[in-house]
Amino acid sequence: MALLATLLALRKDARILKIPPYLSAFCIIVGVVWLLILPLNEYSRNTYVSENALLPGQVHTYFTGSEHNVFRAYRQEVAALAGSSVDQRSKRLSEIFQSNNLKVATQKYSYQASGRNISNENVYAVLQGPRADATEAVVMMAAWRNMAGDINHSGVALVLSLARYFKRWSLWSKDVIFLIPGDSTTGSQAWVDAYHDSHSPDTIEPLSIKSGALQGAVAVDYPAGPWGHRYDKLHIMYDGVNGQLPNLDLFNTAVSIASGQMGIGCTLQRMWKHDDSYQERLQTMLRGMISQGLGHATGPHSSFIPYHVDAITLQTVGDGWHDEMSLGRTVESLFRSLNNLLEHLHQSFFFYLLLQANRFVSIGTYLPSAMLIAMNFSITSIALWVLSGRSITTPPNPASTSNKDKQEKEKADVTVVKKDSAVAIVPTKSLETVERRLSLPLTFVAISHFLGLLPLYLFNNTHESYLDPIFYAILGLTGILPFATAAILQSFRRPTPQESNLIQCFSLLLLGMFLSALATLNFSLSFLVGILTTPLTFIRGTKNKIFAIIGSVILAILNPVVVIRAAVFFFGMDLRQVLVQAAEGWHVWGLWTQVVVWLVWWPAWFAGSVVVSGGLFS
Amino acid sequence: MLPFLVLLLFNALLAYATDYEERLLLRPLPRSALLASFQFRSNESSTSFEQQNFRYFPRSLGQILQHAHTKELHLRFSVGRWDAESWGQRQWNGAREGGTGVELWAWIEADDEEQAFSRWLTLTNTLSGLFCASLNFIDATKTIRPVMTFSPEGDHPNPSKLHLLHGTLPHEVVCTENLTPFLKLLPCKGKAGVSSLLDGHKLFDASWQTMSIDVRPVCEENGDCSLEMEQSVDMVLDIDRSKRPRDNPIPRPLPIEDIECDTSKYYNGHDTCFPLDKQADPAWTLTEVFGRPLRGACPLTDTEGPNSHTVCINTPPERTVNANTTGQYEEHRYASDTMRCYKLPTGSDIDLELPEQQMTTGLVLGTPPLYAARAINGHGQERGSVQAVIRNPSTSTAVDFVYLEALPWFMKPYLHTLRAQVTGSSENPIKETYYRPAVDRRRGTHIELKLTIPAGATLTITYDFDKAILRYTEYPPDANRGFDVAPAVIRVLNPQSSDRRGAYLRTTSLLLPLPTPDFSMPYNVIILTSTVMALGFGNIFNLLVRRFVGADEVPSIGGGLIGILKAKVQRIRGRFSR
Repeated sequence: MALLATLLALRKDARILKIPPYLSAFCIIVGVVWLLILPLNEYSRNTYVSENALLPGQVHTYFTGSEHNVFRAYRQEVAALAGSSVDQRSKRLSEIFQSNNLKVATQKYSYQASGRNISNENVYAVLQGPRADATEAVVMMAAWRNMAGDINHSGVALVLSLARYFKRWSLWSKDVIFLIPGDSTTGSQAWVDAYHDSHSPDTIEPLSIKSGALQGAVAVDYPAGPWGHRYDKLHIMYDGVNGQLPNLDLFNTAVSIASGQMGIGCTLQRMWKHDDSYQERLQTMLRGMISQGLGHATGPHSSFIPYHVDAITLQTVGDGWHDEMSLGRTVESLFRSLNNLLEHLHQSFFFYLLLQANRFVSIGTYLPSAMLIAMNFSITSIALWVLSGRSITTPPNPASTSNKDKQEKEKADVTVVKKDSAVAIVPTKSLETVERRLSLPLTFVAISHFLGLLPLYLFNNTHESYLDPIFYAILGLTGILPFATAAILQSFRRPTPQESNLIQCFSLLLLGMFLSALATLNFSLSFLVGILTTPLTFIRGTKNKIFAIIGSVILAILNPVVVIRAAVFFFGMDLRQVLVQAAEGWHVWGLWTQVVVWLVWWPAWFAGSVVVSGGLFS
Repeated sequence: MLPFLVLLLFNALLAYATDYEERLLLRPLPRSALLASFQFRSNESSTSFEQQNFRYFPRSLGQILQHAHTKELHLRFSVGRWDAESWGQRQWNGAREGGTGVELWAWIEADDEEQAFSRWLTLTNTLSGLFCASLNFIDATKTIRPVMTFSPEGDHPNPSKLHLLHGTLPHEVVCTENLTPFLKLLPCKGKAGVSSLLDGHKLFDASWQTMSIDVRPVCEENGDCSLEMEQSVDMVLDIDRSKRPRDNPIPRPLPIEDIECDTSKYYNGHDTCFPLDKQADPAWTLTEVFGRPLRGACPLTDTEGPNSHTVCINTPPERTVNANTTGQYEEHRYASDTMRCYKLPTGSDIDLELPEQQMTTGLVLGTPPLYAARAINGHGQERGSVQAVIRNPSTSTAVDFVYLEALPWFMKPYLHTLRAQVTGSSENPIKETYYRPAVDRRRGTHIELKLTIPAGATLTITYDFDKAILRYTEYPPDANRGFDVAPAVIRVLNPQSSDRRGAYLRTTSLLLPLPTPDFSMPYNVIILTSTVMALGFGNIFNLLVRRFVGADEVPSIGGGLIGILKAKVQRIRGRFSR
């Protein structure tokens, strides 16, 4: 009881309001340091195959001998199709599948994004498993063109020859679907959408042959031309759309088969050289986080993951001594493992950060870092709410020894409070309550969130050729808008200090809520946005011009549009290409990174900027 | 038209009512597949059946039928799916096949539904023991009473007292343990006759196979009744796969010399080979394909007349068929030579050999009346929708059919979302609907629709459903990949089938993933809580029953016997002084 009373008394203490900024800073620092220590051995774990049924690498593989001759012939056939039309290509690929006694179908699709028409055709064949009852299927695919736009000669040829080879086995307990999407991301998206009947039937053809529930998908990316190319390592890509990840067991199985059974090294996140040092682990993790945060499709496998179909892409990289047959045997062994599955992959992790091919951090270990960063906004928001309810001048501390004379003068300004038998003398000022004026802050925060819809709409529905000008127009506009808004508001003598506190309070409250919810879905995106918005916690509406200028400059740099431009420059990408990809992501893959940028990040930044730049015009 | 003639002829051959007959029909199908259709038929007059005087009818099954008052019985064990696009019309118009897993339906004589159901349980439990299948799992939730889909094949004296019950086990894996009791029911028990070819390894390596048992009463016009039992095994073998020897079943890559390369390709070379698609019909022999030789005729079959021609091959007349045997055999040709039947020698093996042959005429495959496919759409753990696509390949005739769907109770369809749409027509194709809603944990949903599909049209049936959340004890104890939903049964009403069996087809079964708890988690939780409980209990128990005193508070008592005695006295004293 005594403790409770002390706590309640503490609530009234002015000193308590000084704590939140430090607490917020503490949260941010701990959050960032937390992330940085994850690559250490103490905080990460070695990967392990959790699902016992998979038995990776426990079978002999027989994809050798004359299959190699057939593979070379198929690769020649694929190479011969390089210049031909989509229809001719589909026809020839269908013929090859058909000659191996498989059921073949094609699917035409077309998408419209940023004024471009993406249309192509998927070819797929179904091997009905002799032991299967059409309830489950696994997918093997090789996109006609890989992510870099090269024709996937050896990958397609490998799928064709494995189809021929798999047909002879009688042990398949699931149907095997061999899919050759027209391109890496849209083709597989169209196919998997149609497979689950969630496609738009006007532009995407429904599938004429279907099988059972998809249990897994493996894509092969091996663009070596008709005369082959020996590779060094397998680059395993696992990021799904919107940062969803496949079950870690699938990744582990692939790594364990490739490195354990076949002796092929595995690498991830474009870390071609990895000597397992702290820096390289950290770099791998950060690259993975950026890729996950962007949420874009990284290969043909990405579209499958939102449908809870675990999928990876195996890409060959480097110059080495491994040939197409060892890749073929890896895929064969991987499908033998998937064939063993009795249940959908569920045993292992769906949320993880990979540090190298056999080391990972699980969600329980990394999640607090993003949560702490999201929490700092909530703390500040609560502090601002409390602050906005106080009168602006705080009564001097009666225990203070300084300004004795001043205190003497104001001595009379106290009130006697009686409760039951207790009597207390309290400064009158601390008993005053201030009414919170909510209408302007609430309206402002709501409008700024709705304003975000405008760029969201513009970027997703503008023709490709106008994307650059639109981007710079929005860059300029968002740069000026906070100052203009602040100037206009100041001309009406608004916002009052209390109102600017409340604007920040609501804006940070929403930001904190969104980010903590997002952290459970897409940790990386939440973390990145959280880091980039941390200054919003510390800036305040101020009358001091110098502070206002410094604050405005910092926020002008952290303008989401500026950050995007800087990131594009930093990574050496083409701005238009990035914007086109984003629009494609919006229309084709169902990407919601833009939603987070324009409806979470931008409004928070805008509210903060208006509050800070208000100081310039007062 | 040819295959229909052949089928009719084949049925006509079997129509001669003798006490026991058996037949094997072989028909090569495209893509090096081979249909093998075994049929065994035994009769018993109803008087001797009632007096339990069994000759060809198996006693074990006969007694079960008498005990469970079952008048007509149909039992199916099936694996795989019939590929109608490549293989055409189904054998026996689909009347002798079942959905994936086990399917059982029977007409049971009873006074009321309750009695019928208890007899049905008796029947499923006894059959379960007889066939080593989990038929006893057909309980009330899996039993339906179809109204339009099935009609009795036999002649029943008092049909008013008969109750039709139907149950399916789509998840049941059919394997050799079901074949052995099946063969034991045959008079020749797989030792002679065509049944000697039935080998579990090959049968269950087939692309599609179904075993069926049909018992029905047949009455002549003069009032003589008999009980007829038909056992059939239909399978489609992949010739290449079946020909592989059992001691070397791994399909290793062939040596390059054995692969026929397309030498016309510009890149053809010592290391590059485009495999040629074999146009010729593959070579095969009975022994290779079935893994064992045909051990001559079953001595119980007729030795004269068409019933003695037990092995038939349906091929174009130009196909070479050599019979290798040391005994006497006869070859007969029917249906303008497209059907070759053999009378088997008694007591010696016979093998049929078909060499590799380039054919000029192909075998015409019958077009099935309907094509059907069914799939679950949508994803997620909460709801989904079922879509069945049924296509009428005929260009001239509309098809009337009944669509039967028996859903488990945890799949809850919304009837108001049921839509049936025919391409190019706004007319509602549903003529009649029979619907019996599910009751949680008591019975499943039962939907029967009577539909019409115009010539050349495609009919799409869709409905939405919710997935129920099960109690944790309701999950099966084994690995949980989801729940199987029984195949939909489609009965073609019009055009009418030529016999009483009717024409049927079935879709594949569906996999329904339900929200599944991670069962290892409660296990971990139980272990953890037990540990914590044990620790807590131990401490609290100690605190309650022990008295803790400081070491210096204990009065010092000397050791030895005197000390112990003193301590006892003190304790007793302490007890009294309280």
